[in-house]
Amino acid sequence: MRFGSENYSAGDFYDELIDRDGNPRPHARLLAEYLSGLPTDDLLERQLAADSTIEDMGISFTIYSEGDNIDRAWPLDIIPRTIPSAEWDHVERGLKQRVMALNLFIDDLYNDRRILNDKVVPADLIDSSKNYLQPCRGIRPRHGVWAHICGSDLVRDGDGTMYVLEDNLRVPSGVSYMLENRNVIKRVLPMIFRNHTIRPVSEYPSQLIEMLRSIAPTSVPGKPEVVVLTPGVYNSAYFEHSYLARTMGVELVEGNDLTVGDDDFVYMRSIDGLKRVDTIYRRIDDTFIDPEAFRPDSMLGVPGIMRAWRAGNVALANAPGSGVADDKVIYSYVPEIIRYYMSEDPIIPNVPTWRCSDKQHLDHVLANIGDLVVKPANESGGYGMLVGPHASAAEHDKFRELLKADPRNYIAQPTLALSTAPTLCDDKLEPRHLDLRPFILQGDRISVTAGGLTRVAMRKGSLVVNSSQGGGSKDTWIVEMDP
Amino acid sequence: MLSRSAERVYWLGRYLERAENTARIVQQYSQLLLDLPPEVGVKWHELLTIFGVDEARLGDSDVASIMHYMLADPTSNNSLAFCIRNARDNIRNARDLLPQESWESANELDQYARKYLGPAATGENTFEVLSDCISHCQQINGVLIGTMSHDSPYHFLRIGQNIERADMTSRIIDVAAAYLQKNERLVLRYGSTLWTNVLKSVSGFQMYRQYCQPEVEGLSVIDFLLNDSKFPRAIRYCLQRAHRRASALPRNQSLLSAIDTTIERLPSPLPEELDGASVTELMDLLQREFATLHSVIVDTWFLPA
Repeated sequence: MRFGSENYSAGDFYDELIDRDGNPRPHARLLAEYLSGLPTDDLLERQLAADSTIEDMGISFTIYSEGDNIDRAWPLDIIPRTIPSAEWDHVERGLKQRVMALNLFIDDLYNDRRILNDKVVPADLIDSSKNYLQPCRGIRPRHGVWAHICGSDLVRDGDGTMYVLEDNLRVPSGVSYMLENRNVIKRVLPMIFRNHTIRPVSEYPSQLIEMLRSIAPTSVPGKPEVVVLTPGVYNSAYFEHSYLARTMGVELVEGNDLTVGDDDFVYMRSIDGLKRVDTIYRRIDDTFIDPEAFRPDSMLGVPGIMRAWRAGNVALANAPGSGVADDKVIYSYVPEIIRYYMSEDPIIPNVPTWRCSDKQHLDHVLANIGDLVVKPANESGGYGMLVGPHASAAEHDKFRELLKADPRNYIAQPTLALSTAPTLCDDKLEPRHLDLRPFILQGDRISVTAGGLTRVAMRKGSLVVNSSQGGGSKDTWIVEMDP
Repeated sequence: MLSRSAERVYWLGRYLERAENTARIVQQYSQLLLDLPPEVGVKWHELLTIFGVDEARLGDSDVASIMHYMLADPTSNNSLAFCIRNARDNIRNARDLLPQESWESANELDQYARKYLGPAATGENTFEVLSDCISHCQQINGVLIGTMSHDSPYHFLRIGQNIERADMTSRIIDVAAAYLQKNERLVLRYGSTLWTNVLKSVSGFQMYRQYCQPEVEGLSVIDFLLNDSKFPRAIRYCLQRAHRRASALPRNQSLLSAIDTTIERLPSPLPEELDGASVTELMDLLQREFATLHSVIVDTWFLPA
């Protein structure tokens, strides 16, 4: 495939746009034709236009400890990542199946513990998890749903298979960037949209507010009052918190805007006095939400909010304790969890995973650490992990020691040959590795975003896509194909 | 509306207004200095007294450092850059309540200010850069006024703007009055230039001409800026507007009566024998009244500290 004057080849990797012979994949044909007809200067100009639109629109994420300059412009590569609609329909079914199973699992863990009694998942794994929160025992949130908003990371391996890499069930972020990426791309590449049928992504805020209303306590007369709870203006995802509050038309509150009354209801401090709150979309980690119940040193949370939640007077999304299911050791059991609750085989496979808590698995990992990716069970944002093939012998040794000291806290996976897509690097298109984070909402019903947030590792050969570590992003197109 | 949001929107109103006024005053002041002979005694230091800066703070600073302090210094809470940054941050942090275009516009202004205010302070395109800042502030104002529902956030925004505006007008009158006292002979000769400048620094020259006698003369300028109830930068007008906005808010009794008290302090008609000293005294009194209005607002609606 030629773009401008350059030949584009993804080598041995699976490329989202072209096949092994260098021909555009059928759903990407129109995009590939458009790109190959576009002079390089034109492409660069559009990338600049996108960059300045992002600055002007103030689409940013926040980096800690940079002093005064706290907002960084959101990195967006203008070449869209394309997925055919038929494949996406399949993935969507798989994600719904997975999240429904995970919610049944969490509800079971805090109530009957059937799956533990049936020894499908070892009980000591749950009881030793710091994300299994005792104050949540015996609670039954509405619809039996705990993780109302889930961001699952999907990756495609060398043979083209799509895997779930991890499930984020605590406070997954990124959806606002998915929405804004589309807005920016529509501004800078309007003509491509004319020739394609691309599924819109813009319904997300309406689906989110509907879901949040559907989980409000049943005792609420009239329309439930929904708020978004943010840790504050310096949080790395404050842009998103504010974006979601604005697009849903609800208040964005911080911990000290809320108070729990003697009646165990939650109120917000308004200019007209106290006003009752029914559903809180909280973007604060579990153990920070209530200094009375968890960390007494938390300044972010609301004292007594767990009391109100346990009394059924307020809904929290996601419910506290949901994080028990996004432990990476639990992840390795998800296929069994799906079979157990849904009596179906998983539609989207898991990446094969070694649990270091298992002696045989640990020995395998120690012996093959140079080929594996090792991850701590409870970190997110790409922190604390080892990419074996890219690390030094000293780092391998360091991780061997870490694994031996705390095997329960680590898992290992084969290093996947993540798929690539053409990405504008300096002044030409080069293949870069990427993943995809769709968002799944579950309340009284379940929905999945059309596509999701595609994250790209901007450095050549790198597999690390996190924006906190130099990753970029792409607009994600679910392209309707004629049957 | 959340107490926290009320606070942010109120401060947005104040900083946006302060930014526009600061740009206008510095711009007019540099024009005035070109017109007046040195013996009138109008100096760059006087500019600082408008903003209540202790002259001792800057010592014998030259024009360049005063301009830097007024325009570009991010650590000076009197600088235009500081006001713009704070207006922008308050929009950022209350973005869920404000029109998206106001955020885009404030962001552009902030980026513009970061780039050009430093050079402008050294004399590079000062006039143009300040004009751009002023028109950008007006654009943001236009978006807010043109697209926000006239609901609580809007009321807090406008109350903040009107109090800030009244306060700034009183400071400008105050500084001009100081010349009345200092050097009566020269002021007689150059007085009309001085008072024209006062009017221009609140964009009031044209309106004054249209509604008052053609001659620009100290007492009638002061009367216009204090008592006119149609000119948007006259103190009486600002207070009446703030009153109107406050009357639509819940729990507004203390603020309404505090505004009434402040309005009663405006002498109308002006006593004929008003001298520089009594003008200064009156302005000091008004500024204390404005500070009281601010505390009433904080105590009534904002989150307790």
